[in-house]
Amino acid sequence: MRFLWLAVKDLTLVARDKKAFLTLIMMPLLLIAILGSAFGNMMKEDEVVSIKKFTLGVVNLDQGQLSKVLTEEVFSKNLSKQIAVKYYQEEELYKKIQDHKLEIGIVIDKDFTQSIMSGQGTKIQLITVPDTVIKATIVQNVIEQFSWSVPIEAVVSQMSQPVQAGNQGGIDMEGYGEKPLINETTIDAKTKPVSSFQYYAAAMGVMFLLMTVVQGVSTMVLEKEQEVFNRLLLTNLTYSNYLLGKMLGLITICLTQAFIIILGTSLLFGVGWGASVSGIIVMTLAFVINASGLGVLAGSFMKTEKSFGVAGMFATQIMAALGGSMVPLYVFPDWVVFITKFLPNGLALQTYLDLMSGAVISKILPAIAASVGFGLFFFALGLIRLSMERRGKYA
Amino acid sequence: MNMLTVQDLRKSFGSFEAVKGVNFSVEKGESYGLLGPNGAGKSTTINMITGLFPPNSGEIKIKDIDVIKNPKQAQKWIGVVPQEIALYQSMSARENLKFWGRMYDLSGSELEKSVDRVLEIIGLTERAKDKVSTFSGGMKRRVNIGAAILHKPELLIMDEPTVGIDPQSRNHILETVKHLNGEGMTIIYTSHYMEEVEYLCERIGIVDHGQLIASGTLSELRETIGDHSKIILSIDKESSNLEGLAQSLTGLFSEKDIQIQEQQVMVFHKEPQLILTDFIQSVAKTGTKITSVNIVEPNLESVFLHLTGRNLRD
Ligand SMILES: Nc1ncnc2c1ncn2[C@@H]1O[C@H](COP(=O)(O)OP(=O)(O)OP(=O)(O)O)[C@@H](O)[C@H]1O
Ligand SMILES: [Mg+2]
Repeated sequence: MRFLWLAVKDLTLVARDKKAFLTLIMMPLLLIAILGSAFGNMMKEDEVVSIKKFTLGVVNLDQGQLSKVLTEEVFSKNLSKQIAVKYYQEEELYKKIQDHKLEIGIVIDKDFTQSIMSGQGTKIQLITVPDTVIKATIVQNVIEQFSWSVPIEAVVSQMSQPVQAGNQGGIDMEGYGEKPLINETTIDAKTKPVSSFQYYAAAMGVMFLLMTVVQGVSTMVLEKEQEVFNRLLLTNLTYSNYLLGKMLGLITICLTQAFIIILGTSLLFGVGWGASVSGIIVMTLAFVINASGLGVLAGSFMKTEKSFGVAGMFATQIMAALGGSMVPLYVFPDWVVFITKFLPNGLALQTYLDLMSGAVISKILPAIAASVGFGLFFFALGLIRLSMERRGKYA
Repeated sequence: MNMLTVQDLRKSFGSFEAVKGVNFSVEKGESYGLLGPNGAGKSTTINMITGLFPPNSGEIKIKDIDVIKNPKQAQKWIGVVPQEIALYQSMSARENLKFWGRMYDLSGSELEKSVDRVLEIIGLTERAKDKVSTFSGGMKRRVNIGAAILHKPELLIMDEPTVGIDPQSRNHILETVKHLNGEGMTIIYTSHYMEEVEYLCERIGIVDHGQLIASGTLSELRETIGDHSKIILSIDKESSNLEGLAQSLTGLFSEKDIQIQEQQVMVFHKEPQLILTDFIQSVAKTGTKITSVNIVEPNLESVFLHLTGRNLRD
C-alpha cells in the first residue's frame, strides 16, 4: 500500500504543478496538429525518394490489362528509381523469397482487372519475409492507391465494364500459409495503408511519452537530491516499494497522456489508430512500462537533476530520431529498423503502425511481451543499482 | 535499559574523517543533547544512528537491534527530524502529515486521529489546510517535527530543529520537545545553541572535529572547568594599554585564567564576587577606561571555550 500512496502523492504534485500539467496535455495535441498539417503531403514524396532501391518480384496471373498498367507503368516506369521489377513463375517467387534472394513479391490474381473494375477490391497477395515492413508498406501503398484511382478514372472516362457477380474475394492461401518464414498479406479493402498524418500522430505521441518519462524521472532525481528522499528512506518504505511507487506514478501519467493523444487525434483530426482497441490499450501500457522502467533505471544512476536533465533531453532526442519520430523509418535499411525495436519508442511506433494497418492483438503479442519484459528488466536493474548506491553512500 | 548505544563510530568522506570514534549511550526516557559547532560531525553521527548510511566502523544499537544490520527494524521505533525541511511544499500541512503517516503504515481512523493529535501538538490546527509553501520558516519547522512523531516513536532524534527561526516558534518547539519527553519519549537533540541544550537535556555530549570531547550532566560538565565564572570587562579601545594590563593582571591571577583582547578583558574565577573590586582596580590603574562589567555564570559556552580554546559560534 505504501507504494500506492507514494504514487498518489506524485500525481498530486504533478496535478498542482500548472506548467507540468499543461505540458502534459496541451503540447502533444498542438504539436501533432502542426506537424500533421505541415508534413501532410510532403511525406509521401519524401519517403519514396529516400529509400534504397529494391527488387519487387511479380507473378502476373491476370488476364486483363490493368495488371500490366500496374507493373509496367506504375512500378517499372514511375517508380523506376525505387523499384526494379522482375517477373517470375509462382513457385519460383516463393523459393526466391524463402531463400532470402528476394525480400518482397506480389502475386496478381487472375481476376485482378475484373475485380478492380467491378469495385470488389484488389486481388493481390503480398509476400515478404518478416521485418520488411517498410518496403511492404510502400508496395502496399502503391497498390492501394492504384486500385482506388482506377475505378474512379474508369467511371469518369465511361469505360466501365459489366459488373460480374459471383467473383469470390477470398484469400488464396493454397498451402503457402504453412511456411513460417514467409509473410503473406492479401491486399484487400481490409488492410489500409498508413497515412503520413497517422504516422506522425503515432511518432509524435511516442516521442511525447518519452519526454514525459524524462520529465517524471527528473522530478524523481530532484526528489533524491532533496531531504524528502532521505526522510522517505527512514520510514517503512523499502527500495522496491519506492521504485514501484515511482513507476506506478509515471505509468499513470503516461497513460493519461497517451489516452489524450490517441483520443484527441482520432476525434479532432480523424486519425485512425486501427480497429483493435484492446491492441492499442495493451500496447500503450506495455510501452509505458518499458519506457518508465528505462527511465527509472536511468534515474537511479543520476545524482543531480541538472545532469539528468541534460542527459535525459539528449537521450530522448537520439532515441526519438532513431525510433522514427523525426525522420520516417522508411529511410533506414531494414536491419536498422529491426535494431530500433530494442528502443522502447522504436518498438512502440512500429507496433502502432502495424495496428493502424489493421493488425489484430494476437499479431502484436510478441511486441507486447518484449516491451513488458524489457521494462521489468530495467526496473530490476534500477533496484539493484539503488540499493548498491545506498550501501556505498559517501564512502 | 539503554535506548541507544553507540560504540567507536567512525565515518570518512573520501580522505576526510568526519566522525572519529564516538561513544555514548542514551537511556530510555532520557533527553540527550549533542552540542557542537558547525561541521563538528553532529549530522553525520545522527544519520548513521538513524540508518541512513552505514559507518566505516563501529556499532550502533537501538534497544537490542543492530541498526547497521537491520535498519528497517530499528527505524520503526524512531522518529527523525532532519536538519533541513523535508516536506512537500505544494501540499498542505495536513496532506503532508497524512502522507508521512501512511509511509509509517498508519491508515483509516488511526491515521486521522494521529494527524489531528500532531496538529494540536505543533499548534497548527488552524492552518492545517494551507500549503506548506505559504508557511513561515518557524511553521515549516514545526510541521517538519510533526511528521516525525505521527507514529509515536519511542526515540525522537532531532537534528538542529530550530535553526533560523523566530523566537516565538523556537519557544514553541522547545516546549513541544519538553512535553514529549515528559510523556516518556526518549530524545536526542543536536544543536549549536547551548541555551537550548541546557534547557532541554539531562545529559549532554560536546562534539568537536568529529570527536566527543566531553559528556555528562550540566553540573558534571561545569566541574570540568572547575565551576569557574567569567568576569568580562569591556574596555575603551583608545585608552587601553594592553601590555600594562597584562603586567598588572598576572600579578593577581594565574596566566591561564586571563584573556586580554582589544575591547575586553576576561578573568575566570570560582568566586567572582570576591575578586571583582581587585580586578577592576588593577585594570583602572593602567589608565584603561572601563565601559561595562559583566559576570557570566559557568555555562556550556565557557565549557566549550575551556576545552577547545574557541567559541561555540563566531
Ligand atoms: N556528504 C559529504 N561529503 C563530504 N563531506 C561531508 C559530507 N557530509 C558532511 N561532510 C563534512 O563532514 C563534516 C561534518 O559535517 P556534519 O554535517 O556532520 O556537521 P554538523 O555538526 O552537523 O554541522 P552543522 O551544525 O553545520 O549542521 C563537515 O566538515 C562536512 O563538510
Ligand atoms: Mg548538521
